Amino acid sequence: MIEVNNLHRSFGKVAALQGVSFSAGNGQITGVLGPNGAGKTTTLRILYTLLRPDQGSASVDGYDTCKNALEVQRRIGALPDSHGLYPRLTARENIRYYGWLHGLRGKGLENRIEDLIHVLDMKEIADRRTEGFSTGERMKVAIGRALVHSPNNVLLDEPTNGLDVISTRAMRSFIQRLRDEGKCVIFSSHIMQEVSALCDQIVVIAQGRVATSGTPEQIQRMTGCDSLEEAFITVIGSEEGLEK
Amino acid sequence: MINNILAVFHKEFIDNLRDRRSLVTVLLTSLFMPLFVVGMVIVMGQLLNPDIIEKPIQLAVTGKENAPQLVEFLEQNGVVVLPAPADPQSEIQNGRQDVILVIPGSYAEEFTQGAPASIRLILDSSRMSASPNISRVKRLLGAYSQQVSATRLMARGINPAITDPVLIIDQDISTPQSQSLLFLNMLPYFVIMVIFMGGMYVVIDATAGERERGSLEPLLINPVRRSEFVLGKLSASLPYAVAILIVCLVTIGLAFNLIPLEQFTGFPMSVSLTSLWVIFWICLPMVFLAGGLQMILASFTRSFKEAQTYLSFLPLVAGLPSAFLIFLPVKASAVLMLIPAFGQGLLINQVMRAETIDPSHVLISIATTLVLSVVTIGLSIKLYEREELLFGKR
Repeated sequence: MIEVNNLHRSFGKVAALQGVSFSAGNGQITGVLGPNGAGKTTTLRILYTLLRPDQGSASVDGYDTCKNALEVQRRIGALPDSHGLYPRLTARENIRYYGWLHGLRGKGLENRIEDLIHVLDMKEIADRRTEGFSTGERMKVAIGRALVHSPNNVLLDEPTNGLDVISTRAMRSFIQRLRDEGKCVIFSSHIMQEVSALCDQIVVIAQGRVATSGTPEQIQRMTGCDSLEEAFITVIGSEEGLEK
Repeated sequence: MINNILAVFHKEFIDNLRDRRSLVTVLLTSLFMPLFVVGMVIVMGQLLNPDIIEKPIQLAVTGKENAPQLVEFLEQNGVVVLPAPADPQSEIQNGRQDVILVIPGSYAEEFTQGAPASIRLILDSSRMSASPNISRVKRLLGAYSQQVSATRLMARGINPAITDPVLIIDQDISTPQSQSLLFLNMLPYFVIMVIFMGGMYVVIDATAGERERGSLEPLLINPVRRSEFVLGKLSASLPYAVAILIVCLVTIGLAFNLIPLEQFTGFPMSVSLTSLWVIFWICLPMVFLAGGLQMILASFTRSFKEAQTYLSFLPLVAGLPSAFLIFLPVKASAVLMLIPAFGQGLLINQVMRAETIDPSHVLISIATTLVLSVVTIGLSIKLYEREELLFGKR
């Protein structure tokens, strides 16, 4: 359960967020949709405690991201904008390190890593050093280490960026699987088709504000458009973010 | 708390152990430094070797027919008189001769009249290797002058001792050991350089390296305090810095005890195991300070390359005061012990000289260095708590 309440944040003179509010429930996929530079990454960085809002607040399972940063960090698994690996460590070692940082040790941790390797279909690469991995293989390791502590809330910042068709499909079914496990999933993207295909709820962000939010059908109804695509253009006022 | 620090330490230690290229670079540097000093000792020792004095001097003399007595005196005192070269000035400039004596035609006349008979020495005072021969020639000529004046005074019935109202006697208490330390003064500088080099790659990899790889953002999302990250990463650099320091000191010990330096320099030179052990403990606190300073500097850098550029300056700046010790010997004092790196440099010099060391000096040096280490590590934790860490902004 994630709640975001009236977030404001500026970087120098640039106002990145000017009042973003939404809530994302458990067992739901919430898509944060918006063109590049709309404020998606800043919103997520506030949620994973790396940035402080100038105004407003955000909470994860009721814990405030500023006042209870460590509690929030224990409850989220995040795939941030940059998700580099350690090239001299194997895939398994990369995941194990994050397990250690969550206080996991021993047999429990090793079993969990084995499960993740199985679920993410990365048996062949598990004990290879990650140097030279393909984008898809890197993404699997990054997801694996983000979920090593079985978090209730999963935040994914453009997880399908740079993936080929097969990897994108695998990623989508993995996200659905997380939802079916009852997790609260937030998923950001600038590609409308992807968000509409996957999400139970969409929050459209443009120029640092929530332009609209609701289920795909609600958004369509509100804007009076025949398709979600038209609705999206109406809402953000441009064709940016549409896959041609 | 401890578990998190250990986790970070464990990962960084293993990760950097696999970085063979950096390891080899650091190892070679730490081997190179002491061997460089030994090389210098051998070269300098041969240049300034006192044994050279016992060998005959080759002296080119222009106009030797003008002063046969003087030339005879020189030959009696072990000088091999060479015929005059065509162009004395260029002979000296090219370094083919150390010094050339020119006896002008007016010499004989002036000498018989009892007027000061002038002779000329052509030399290049900036040429270090020529200086022992120059001073020997001057000394011989001075002795000749003295001998002539004594004869003249006695011929007039005067005791020649009257011309020496003051007799200067040199009492040189420098031992051969302390003379050799002229060269060893370079060692403190190198030891401090090596301490900084040892942990540098680990610190860079764990800070600017994380940022460059894009692994910093996901790392910071883990439920670990920034202080734990800083302490874990910093402590991962310490074993490397200590190991390199040990390699460097052992190399010094081996080089000074296995290479027969006495043959090259003419005086005995050795560094005992105890001295090295004392130097190790004097230097150990520097390892912490170096780590703290490197963490601070690295927190501002965005890429591996940038970090490498800045961090390479640190040992130069820290070692600079000790580098002055090579040319300007300074006496150790309690106040100087307050300067990190410089205090250590002075103490290392004292140990090498086998001088008695004031224990309070060691304590002051260790204490100030440790206090400064705590301050710099605290400061680096503050820097790592800033949001800007993510972007590497100033």
